[in-house]
Parts: sequence; C-alpha cells; structure tokens
Amino acid sequence: MRPRVNPALFFLLPALTLIAVFYVVPLALSIYIGFTPLRNWNIAGGYLSQVTLENYERLFHMVMYDPDIGKVVATTVVFTVVTLAVNVLGGLALALTMYLMDLSGRELSLGFRTLWMLPRMTPIAVYSLMWYYFFLPGEEGILNSIAMRLGLIDEPVNWGNDPDLLPYGAWAILVVVNGLVGVSFGMVVFYAALRSIPREQIVAARVDGASTLHLVLYILIPQLRWHITYVTVWQLLSLLTTYAHIFLLVEWGAVDEFWGSNWALYVFNKAFALGESDQGLAAAAATILVLIGAGLGVLALRLMGFGRMMAEPRGEV
Amino acid sequence: MARLALRRARAEARAAERVMGDVETLRSARRAYLLAAVLGAASLPMVLLYLLLVLSSFADTIVTGPDILEARYSLDNWLMFFRGEVAPAAGRLYTTADILATIANTAIVALGVTAVVVFTSVLAGYAFSRMRFRWRRGLMTFIILLHAFPGVALIIAVYAMYVWSSMPLARSEGAMVAYAFAFTVLARASLELPMSIWLMKGFFDRIPWEVEWSALIDGASRLRAWWQIVLPQVKPGIAALAIFAFLAGWEDLIYVHVFLYIGTAGKVKTLATLIEELTANIETSYLPVVAAAGTLYLLPTILFFVLTQKLLLEAYSGGLKA
Amino acid sequence: MVEVSLERVTKRFGRVVALDQVSLVFEDGKFTALLGPSGSGKTTLLYIIAGIYKPTSGRIYFGGEDVTDLPPNKRNVGLVFQNYALYPHMTVYDNIAFPLRLRKLPESKIDRKVREVAKMLRIEELLDRYPSQLSGGQQQRVALARALVKEPTVLLLDEPLSNLDALLRVSIRAELKRLQKDLGITTIYVTHDQAEALSMADTVVVIDRGRVQQVDTPQNIYNRPRNLFVATFIGSPPANVLYARLTEKNPSLACVEVNKARFCFEGERAARLSRLGGEEVVLAFRPERARLGTEPRSDMLSIPAEVYVVETLGRENVVTLVVGASMVKVVTPPSQVPRLGESYYVLVDPRDVMLFDPVTELNIDYIEA
Repeated sequence: MRPRVNPALFFLLPALTLIAVFYVVPLALSIYIGFTPLRNWNIAGGYLSQVTLENYERLFHMVMYDPDIGKVVATTVVFTVVTLAVNVLGGLALALTMYLMDLSGRELSLGFRTLWMLPRMTPIAVYSLMWYYFFLPGEEGILNSIAMRLGLIDEPVNWGNDPDLLPYGAWAILVVVNGLVGVSFGMVVFYAALRSIPREQIVAARVDGASTLHLVLYILIPQLRWHITYVTVWQLLSLLTTYAHIFLLVEWGAVDEFWGSNWALYVFNKAFALGESDQGLAAAAATILVLIGAGLGVLALRLMGFGRMMAEPRGEV
Repeated sequence: MARLALRRARAEARAAERVMGDVETLRSARRAYLLAAVLGAASLPMVLLYLLLVLSSFADTIVTGPDILEARYSLDNWLMFFRGEVAPAAGRLYTTADILATIANTAIVALGVTAVVVFTSVLAGYAFSRMRFRWRRGLMTFIILLHAFPGVALIIAVYAMYVWSSMPLARSEGAMVAYAFAFTVLARASLELPMSIWLMKGFFDRIPWEVEWSALIDGASRLRAWWQIVLPQVKPGIAALAIFAFLAGWEDLIYVHVFLYIGTAGKVKTLATLIEELTANIETSYLPVVAAAGTLYLLPTILFFVLTQKLLLEAYSGGLKA
Repeated sequence: MVEVSLERVTKRFGRVVALDQVSLVFEDGKFTALLGPSGSGKTTLLYIIAGIYKPTSGRIYFGGEDVTDLPPNKRNVGLVFQNYALYPHMTVYDNIAFPLRLRKLPESKIDRKVREVAKMLRIEELLDRYPSQLSGGQQQRVALARALVKEPTVLLLDEPLSNLDALLRVSIRAELKRLQKDLGITTIYVTHDQAEALSMADTVVVIDRGRVQQVDTPQNIYNRPRNLFVATFIGSPPANVLYARLTEKNPSLACVEVNKARFCFEGERAARLSRLGGEEVVLAFRPERARLGTEPRSDMLSIPAEVYVVETLGRENVVTLVVGASMVKVVTPPSQVPRLGESYYVLVDPRDVMLFDPVTELNIDYIEA
C-alpha cells in the first residue's frame, strides 16, 4: 500500500535542486579551481585541466612577503575582532535598554527595534552611498563639514586614505559601517531571550529589593550567557566572510585599497577585477575561508542545540 | 478569520501583561521615558544619515547638517535623474528609457527572488516540519551550515558555471540577457534558501498536528490537507517570508554586479549598479543626483518596513528561535 | 455501525513499547471508555484505530474488514481531539461541511446535512462564526458536529471534555451519553478521568503501560478489580492497600494477620488463599466501605489504627489513619469527626476485602485454579 516514492521528495525537490546547483556543485568546483591556474575567466582555455599546488604556494609567499597582503591580513584580524565586540556588546546594550524600557508596561521599543534593523535591510548601494557622503574627503563631506564648523579641524581630512591616519582611519570606517549592520542580530536575539524570561523572576527580584543594576547584572545577563556565546560565534562567522558592505567603499576610494580590504573582499576583487583577474588564486584563498567557516559553523550549531529543534514528525500517515 | 484568532491571542497576552504590569517592575514610568530618550539620542546620528540623503536629493549640494537651512531645495535633481542627466553641465549619459529600464530590472530581480524563495521554501519547510524521510535531520543541519559558508567562495565557482553555461547563447543578445536574469534570480534566491526554509519550518511547526490529522480523518489526502488546511494557516508566515525575500532581492549589490553588470558587460543595470557607476565616475558625478537615485532606491525598503515592522520583527526573532 | 476489533496490536516508538500485544473487541453500537493514566498508551491506541499511527504488528478490523493498512481518509471514522482541532480559517459551517465537500456531495445535500447536525447539537446560530469567536463548550460541539456529519462507522473521542470547566463537563457528560444512545454509533472514548469513564461507558477498558488491565462493566471495574493497579487507580480516594501475613493456609480456613489484627476467611476465599505460593497476601478495601469503631468485631476485619489527619468535606469526612508503617483512609459520615491521635479500629466487612497475590498482583478471585 505504501507508495514507492516518498512524497517528501515532491516537496523537497525544488529546494534540493537549487541547493545542489548553487551550493554543492560550486563548493566542490571552487575548491577544484583553487588547484588550477584559471585566470581572466578563460574557461575554455585549458587552464581547468591543469592541476597544481602553485596557488597555495603563491598565497603562502604573498602572506609572508607581500606588504599589501600583510595589510589585508592585519585588516581582517582587527576589523573582525573589533566589529565583533561592537556587535555583541552593542546588541546587548540595545536589547537591555529596550527590555528595561518595556518593563514599564508600555511597548516603547518597537519603533527603536525597527530603526536599528534598518541598516541590515537598506540596499547596500544606498547604505554605502550614505557613508561615502559622510566620510567624503572634501569640505562637502558630512563629517568634515561638521568637524570644521565645530572648530575641531581647520582643513578637510581624507579620513580613509590620509597616510597620517592610516591604518586607523580606514579601520574605523570599516568598523562603524559594518558594526551598525551587525548590531541588530544580537539585539534581536537578546531581546527575544530577555522577553522569554518569566516575569515572575523580575517581580521576585524587585520584592527582594534589587536595583535595576542588580537586576541586569545578577538576573538578566547570567541568563543570556548562552545566547551571548551563540551570537558571538555566529557573528564571528559572518564577519569573517562579509565583504558586500565594504566593496563599494573600496571601489569608490573612500578607504585605502589594502588597509580597507578584508580577506573576503580581497578574494572577490582578485576574481572579479576588471583588468587582470586570477580565479585560481582567489579560489585558493576562498578555500581557506571555507575551512574556517565550516569549523565555526559546526560549533555554532552545537551551541544552538540544533538537534533539539528538530523534533520528529508525529503520526505516520 | 486567522487574523481574528491572532487578535484574540494578542488581547489575552496583553491582559496577562497588564496583570503583571501592575507590579512595579521598573521603578517609574519616568525612568522608562528617560531610557527612551537616551536610546533616541544614540539613534539620532543614524536617523540623520538617512535624513541627509533624502534632503540632499532635493538640494543643490550635499546637505551636511549645519547647512540644512542654507541649501536651496527643488525637484531639479529628480527631474535630471529621470531625464538621464547625471550632472548639470554634462550631456545626457542615459535616456529616460534607460532609467526606467533600470528600475524595472531591479524590480524583476526582487520579484523573481521572491517567487523562487517562496515557492521552494514553503514546500521544503513543510517537508522538514511534517514529513518523514531518510536523512531528515542531517539534511536540515547541512542546509543550515550552508548559510554559514562564505559567499565569496561560492560566487567564483557560480560565475565560472555561468560563463561556461552561457557560451552557446553568445550569438543571441536577447537569450543572453534572459539567461543572465534567470541566473541572477536563481543564484540570489539560493543564498536566501537556508534561512527561509528554516523560517518556514518554524511556522509549520506551530500548527497543531491535530488540525492536520482532522483533515485526513475527514477524508482529505495529504496533499489536499496541506493545501486547504495547513497553508491557509501559515499565510502570515508566507507574507513575512515574501517581504524578506523581496527586500533581499531588492537590496542586493554583489549578485547584480557580477551576473547582470559584469555578465552582460554593463548592458543590464539595476539601481544598485547604476549608483555604483554614477559614484565611481568622480569627475562626472554630481552627488545630489546620485542622492535622488539612492532615495528612490531606498523608498520600497522604508515603505515595507514601516508598514510591516511588527510582522518582520516577529518573523525574524521567530526564525532565529524557532 | 460496526464492531471494532484489535488483534495482538503492538506499537513501538523506537525502543519504547507503547502498546504490547493488545487484543480487544469494541462492541457494535456500544460506548466504550479507554481509561488509563497519562502515558498508558490509550491515546496511541485511539490513533491506531483512526489510522494516524500504524501498528508495529497486529491487525485492526472494522466489522469483518481488515483496515490495518488503510490511511485515515479511507476509514470513515469521526474523531474529536482534546483541543478540538477546528480549522481556524473556516467558519463553523465550512468546518462541518468540509468532510462532505471532500466527498463531493452536491451543495444542497451538504447544506441539509450541516443544518441537521447543527440543529441536533444546538449550534445553528453559530454557523457563520469563526472558531476563535466560540467558547470552549461551543467549539467542542462544533468538533462533534464535524465528526458526526459524515455518519462515521466509528466515533472516536480523545479526552473531549478535559478542556472544559468542571460544571460544563458534568452537563455535557450526560448529553453525550444520551446522544450516543440515540445514534447507536460505536463509540470509543479516551479519558484519564475515572468519573467520566464510569458514568458514561457501557464497557470500561483500563490500560496501563501499554497493556490492557481489565475490560468490564463500570460496576465490576469498581467492585471487582482484576488486579492491584485497577484497584488503586479507580476510586476517589483510591483503595487502601495493606500487606498481610498468611498465618494459616488451609483450604477450609485461611487466616491473615495485619498490624496484630487477625482475621480468618472460610470457604471459597480460604481455598483460593491456600493456593497462594508465598507467606504474604495484599489486602485492599475501599475507604467508603470501611467504618471506624472503638471496639474490634469478630465478624469483621478489625485493624487497630491511630488518627493522623481529618479532612472535613461537608458531605463526608476523609480520615487518614496510621496502621503500622502504612496509611489508610476511611470515609466517615459527617456526624463522626475523630480527633487527631485518637485510636480506633478500622472495620471492614470480609465481603468488601479484596485479596491480591503479591507477586502477580492479581485479584485471587480471578486466579484460575
């Protein structure tokens, strides 16, 4: 009586096809390209049949001796660590503030939560454009204009490129721009977690005479420990692999090409540069990211307690 | 109907909240407003950033804040933009048709992504929530892990596949453009799939099994029960998913840059790549016009956002917690 | 209407055995209650009859027809869930009409049938509402209407009253029983509430840990429990249990001793007691069948005891007493309110004493010679 083909296949087929074509095949292909000297997208040129370790050797050599790559590596580390801290701590601060606001019984935080989600949802080109205006080197740049009016500087500053400010100027721009995008993730997770803490605990703590500071330190934050770890790992992962929000800032020259590029953006530009492009090297560099990403991803799922969320279906019809 | 149930549940939740709300959990309402004021002050620079963009699109210069009252405002930038003039002195780089086509292209990509994401994740989300099959748990774990994979590693290979698979189409420009669109939409939609499937699974999980069983006992087939009984109840979820997918397709830069812009040698533009192009040509670019383009591009995002903020926030946190 | 029978039905979930070799016959047109504590497997059994679960082994028959492999939509059963499982996006009318529409009946006929069943359950004025606009009792009626409208061969009810408040529950209980008698439909009713089971059912099936413990009339379930589980599960407060020593084991005279009280059984009882293997026997008696006396009586089991707690309930008092290391409860009339620490004799008529084999926990009256 049981049909030969599981009906689940019908439901899964479209998604699985897309996943196979746009994840599984490319992933294998990307790793393979890393072992070929493919350049300038010359797919038909016979590069793809030559297997070599040359890209990894070059990559190693560049990291060791090429000062530009050294800048990219340093930027990647600093950018990732500092933005991560901004994201997690900022998200925590936002969530706590909003939660405490809402404790008064009025839903005051809804508008704020939406507002802080906005950078994530804003078209990347527009978001980059706004920051481009903000850090514009001339007098018409927003930051320059405000700082000059306030008398903080006499002449407009080239925030992302001035040799005197490098690398800190470029780094600060990257952190501000990406920090604002990432902060909403922590905010949403922490806020939801705080809201799920039984209200009775807060009442009990108040009855016991806890001040708001006590409440935060001894009741709220300890219960967020697990969420903080989870957000940190997940956010670390996405910061390591993000490049879209930096891409235009580098292309438009708002930040220095190397002090303003992280590893992922370097890979992207290596592969898609308009002139000489080198997909073999880019794919090899991307493979390193994949390895780190896979490790962190598995860790994040462990932390999420992922298995528990996959309850078995009930019934057998 | 379903909305009524929702409203009732909300009313009950609010009533429960009120009971607890009677207990003084925050010392005073004044303190709540104080916190709101602090948060408002912290949010102000961000609001200002958006505000200055919008103002600049009407001004004769980039409005930087202190000069808000000094700038002269008019609709000139918007008119210039729609005429295809990118600077007062420069000639027409584009035609009005180019601009309209660019807007249409952006919409095509966004709507295409929406359609693909909704269709595939509603089906797959149901399977992961309700059906038994081998490797169910393993497959879901794998799909979530995909979400974590570096996009940059994927896009190199996906573009290689695009270059390779589009070779036979090189002779016909129409076919080439259509293929570029299809590829952009499918590739960009795939990027959304892991989270969308997980989100939809969460929505299906919330429907009591008994309701579905009732339909089966009433004589419905599994497919019919899904279509007539289960789907209508996840409508709000599907709406949230569709909005997320639309915004994702709308805001995208990298995929339209790679597949539509590079892939067609700059022939097919979207608002994102148009802004990229306008700003990149520093010599010719007149920033207030770019601000108009940016404001136009931002409009649907803000609109959706203000209208559906509650739905989006619920879905976003629901999808994360599940 | 048909008879439903299960033949050695076993259901495993992974390593957990939910149902173990259950064989049962639900008589045609009768009201049968499946009674058991939570986790006993009673709902699993109901779902297996409905087709939601497939048995790991065993067969299910409706009348003569083997339905084991039929999916639920081919079985023509009506099922009312604990949470009613109404379709929230449909009006009451559409909810009730849904099974008929699936059968592709003409709309005029559907309309007639929906109104008929709505009239029977007195929900005619609710037909245009949505489930979220109904009270619990109204939702319950709609669920029942939806189950009945398709004239099912079997009506299955899964704790349908447990989400209602106590007052409503009692009134619907009587109504449901009457409805079942009028329609004469084979009905299987799952509940953990013994009052529901005993008051409504023609036959009660007591289930525990996936096994059928007893199948009998409500009277017999109460008066002649087949084993210790049934004795202690049924009754409120449940039966008192005391371990006694067998001091005399003759087929004509068997004596037991509990807390220094000695009592001898004669005749059939003595014969059965003498056949027990060990030196122990389990005594059980219902709190409402025992009395408190100041003196022991030779014709009654008289156990010395000390008052521990007295609960006054108005209509009666429930007195808890210490007997050695155990506690027993006795229901006394309102006029008799013992004081704490007072000593009494718990008096039980030998006909009200139930005796169980301590090893098998079976009532000795049921042990085959």
